[in-house]
Amino acid sequence: MTIASERFPVLAHAAHRRASLSVVLDRQSVFSWLMMALPLAFLAALVGYPFFYGILLSLEDRPVAHAGTFVGLKNFVTDAHDPIFWRVAINTFVYTGVATLLKMVGGLGLALAMNQHFHMKNLVRALLLLPFIVPTVLSTVAWLWMLDPAFSVVNRLLVALGWPKPGPSWLGDPTLAMVSIIVINTWRGLPFYGITLLAGLQTVPSELYEAASIDGAGGWQRFRFITLPLLRPIILIVTLFSVIFTFADFQLVYVLTHGGPANATQLFATYAFDIAMGAGQLGLGASVALAMLPALALLIVALSIYLRRE
Amino acid sequence: MVTGHGRIEQAVRVWLPIGFFLVMALFPFYWMAITSIKPNAELYNRNVMPLIVHAPTLKHYVDLLTKSSFLLWTWNTMLVAVVATAISLILGTMLAYPLARMRFAGASLIAMTIAAIYLVPQPLLFIPLADVINRLDLGNTLTSVILTYPTMLVPFCAWLLLGYFKTVPKELEEAARIDGASRVQTMWKIFLPLCTPGFISAGIFAFTLSQNEFLYALIFLTKTSVRTVPVGVIAELIRGDVFYWGQLMAGALLGSIPVALIYSFFVEHYVAGLTAGSVKA
Amino acid sequence: MTRPATNRPTTRREFLKLAATGTAVALSRPLPASAAEKTITILHESSFIKPFDEYVVNTLAPTYEKEAGIKVNYEVTSVGSLQTRISTIAETGSGADITMNGLLGVFQFGDKYLDVSDIAEDIGKAQGGWYDAGREAVVVEGKWKSLPFSNIGQLMNWRTDWFAEVGVRKFPETWEELYEVGKKLKAKDHPYGFELGHGFGDNHGWLYPLLWSYGGSEVAADGKTVVIDSDESARAVDFCRKFFKDTMLDDVLGWTDVSNNKAWMAEQISCTNNAESILWFAKREFPDIGKVTDQAVNPAGPKGRFHLLNAISHSIFSFSPVREEARGFMRWLMEPKQLGGWYAIADSYYQPLLHGYDNAPMWSVEPRNLPYRDALASAHLPGWPAPASRQMAESVAKYVVVDMFAKACAGASTKVVIKDAETQLKNIYRAA
Repeated sequence: MTIASERFPVLAHAAHRRASLSVVLDRQSVFSWLMMALPLAFLAALVGYPFFYGILLSLEDRPVAHAGTFVGLKNFVTDAHDPIFWRVAINTFVYTGVATLLKMVGGLGLALAMNQHFHMKNLVRALLLLPFIVPTVLSTVAWLWMLDPAFSVVNRLLVALGWPKPGPSWLGDPTLAMVSIIVINTWRGLPFYGITLLAGLQTVPSELYEAASIDGAGGWQRFRFITLPLLRPIILIVTLFSVIFTFADFQLVYVLTHGGPANATQLFATYAFDIAMGAGQLGLGASVALAMLPALALLIVALSIYLRRE
Repeated sequence: MVTGHGRIEQAVRVWLPIGFFLVMALFPFYWMAITSIKPNAELYNRNVMPLIVHAPTLKHYVDLLTKSSFLLWTWNTMLVAVVATAISLILGTMLAYPLARMRFAGASLIAMTIAAIYLVPQPLLFIPLADVINRLDLGNTLTSVILTYPTMLVPFCAWLLLGYFKTVPKELEEAARIDGASRVQTMWKIFLPLCTPGFISAGIFAFTLSQNEFLYALIFLTKTSVRTVPVGVIAELIRGDVFYWGQLMAGALLGSIPVALIYSFFVEHYVAGLTAGSVKA
Repeated sequence: MTRPATNRPTTRREFLKLAATGTAVALSRPLPASAAEKTITILHESSFIKPFDEYVVNTLAPTYEKEAGIKVNYEVTSVGSLQTRISTIAETGSGADITMNGLLGVFQFGDKYLDVSDIAEDIGKAQGGWYDAGREAVVVEGKWKSLPFSNIGQLMNWRTDWFAEVGVRKFPETWEELYEVGKKLKAKDHPYGFELGHGFGDNHGWLYPLLWSYGGSEVAADGKTVVIDSDESARAVDFCRKFFKDTMLDDVLGWTDVSNNKAWMAEQISCTNNAESILWFAKREFPDIGKVTDQAVNPAGPKGRFHLLNAISHSIFSFSPVREEARGFMRWLMEPKQLGGWYAIADSYYQPLLHGYDNAPMWSVEPRNLPYRDALASAHLPGWPAPASRQMAESVAKYVVVDMFAKACAGASTKVVIKDAETQLKNIYRAA
């Protein structure tokens, strides 16, 4: 007891007084709100305020360097009548859906493969994370070169196998262009998925597997009934992040195709950027950006409900 | 216990899939490395096998370091990443600790709000945020990005730290409280020192996201002297419609190395932080 | 056309500024210099030709400082960032006094620019008169809001050696002729490569002229009526489709501005539309290719020969505290001695919009650049014949014309792509 009083002299004194400041500050609610005040203020100022301001902008006709005029839902009506807007919506959903699925499955495979004992595990782990570490715009520039039919190793291979020269046009054909951005996104995000799932895998107690083996369960059954259920929370959390990142992706498309060919790879973020920064229509651009919100919200709510059902 | 047979079988089971993933992950880096040491004549030559270099040169690296502001951009990027990460960890902790340890009215509301904030990705905010930054006259300063990066980093740090904090055993804090420590003292002296893996985990992730950021940097930083590597390389190693491919690839590699080094040192902790809640000692 | 303005009150801005000054100052830019000597800040996009920027810093600025006692600060922003930078300055009301404008910048920010009609008239009178293109680029509602500096043109680049192999020594006159030659060249594995993707210059550089040369246009001269749905447009689209199919690489559908440069140096293509960068780069890095690279004006269609106008001009911000000094500087800068020297240093990369320079010695430095001068007479802004407007800018940003052609080349029917373009334009011009 004496030692403690020496360690915490201030409160040792305070303990003798009744309602002092330190005691008040120590109340759970007071402490909590004071502690959270700064971060909440920060987020309110730099996220909350711009968010509501963005909503206001979307309801205005606001050319750059001009004052805004309130126009109600006019921008959204314009978007609804804009064929590119709907193309963009479809693109973004397809892009997000397919890439996330690939990352999930691939990441799981990677995690399972890594969950074995072998030398140089740390080195391998660090190397595998490189696609995630390197700034996206830089690796995308490398991909730009790699996907050029004249230089692509894949094309050379295909042509050697009989494909008509010069091989598939990865960035010129609308479908292949979408495939390309999905592939690059998967390449970039799979390591993150994998390493995170690996961490989750390593928390599964081996006793459970042993018990199951004794009961006669085969590899697949152990996976289905032990591994997967226990991994579910972490799979869902990682998927949540991945979906948000991918849905709002900007860099990849900006560098690779800038939305081409003919809007086959145009996403919400790049379209909003073109309208706001290219055409100088801040209000219209904000309306396109805001269109992301309902879709995202729906996805998140769905995932959260599923997660809550644990 | 491992027979000759078993060893080969094990090697295949391990290295076949791992090898596959390694090749997939690293092939583009090989490409970057090869391109960065090819002279222009080879670079543009369609007829040679692109995977080999015949006359390697360091010219692109030299040009990158001497003729562009690459080193300045790297400095800016590191500075911004470190400060933004520090801010995010601090703010994240200030949010996560009460949520993890305290019971108070409004806790679940705050938790949901933070999750909701995570729902608001950058492309949604960049237009109004550009306006805010303009009004604060912070255009073309590193402050603009140091202030805005935490907006995407704080919610994530808060979430990750919250998960980690919940797994730290409460006994030590309870002992300190009994001894008369205030909550602040408990948090500062007892609790936080125990959370190093969590901080490293959140910190590394935040750092990575920060040095990868492009959109805000593109919009707020238009002067060479304040640019970060992603924007600098894309905006300035491309003059009009001429890509300086060799320099770009050199820049890409040099841009990834510092972070990769950091990862190799800390990947163990990164995983530990994510693994929070596993086997207790 | 008055609009009720919901202007942000200055007080709010001041309040926010005060609130943030504490943190901002610590990390922000250094304190401004003393008010004793006046400074004019000019904002410019980084030039493709480095000596061009250096000329201002090393020659023009010091000379002016000696003559007029005013310091000139030349600020450079990287290519592509000019728009963003001007937006910031226009929105905050500070940051530069004079700025360069590209493409449709004068119209987007015209409200913040000083009327310089008097200076422009004087310059025109003294130096041979302005090209119409100059007027088209900077006159907003009858007032000159900018002083035209030059065009940065786009021309046909062609491989003289390969064209010679199929018996062609002079660049074809019409699109149809170019098409016929292209078929032969593609058969010899030297296809054409014209950008049809979401770049910025090399797609617009030939697609708008193509549309105009067949008589098509997006909007009528009244600036309101959408007229893209016409037989002329259909003919242009049909031509483009066969042009793509029979002469080009498939990949061009996804090309951005860098792609044709890359393809040229890799000797993949025999003809493309580009600015001076291909010739410039080839001469430096691949002299053998440079020797067989030539430039020519765009081919003509049934309704004429056209080029894309990409004019550079200089405007003075109306809120600049040194606007009178800026006017003085611009007058000085646009005098033959300064202007001529500045043009000459960049080897005809910047094509003057004053007739006085039609026979200037700068053109003899690289005779292959002469077509740039010839193109000036038929150069127009995208969206022509409608006057420049925000709707035009929106159409360009949304790639309406480019995608119309690109989708047709990818296989869609002419009727469909034109209808799509019409729908888009009607949507965009709804506000007009």
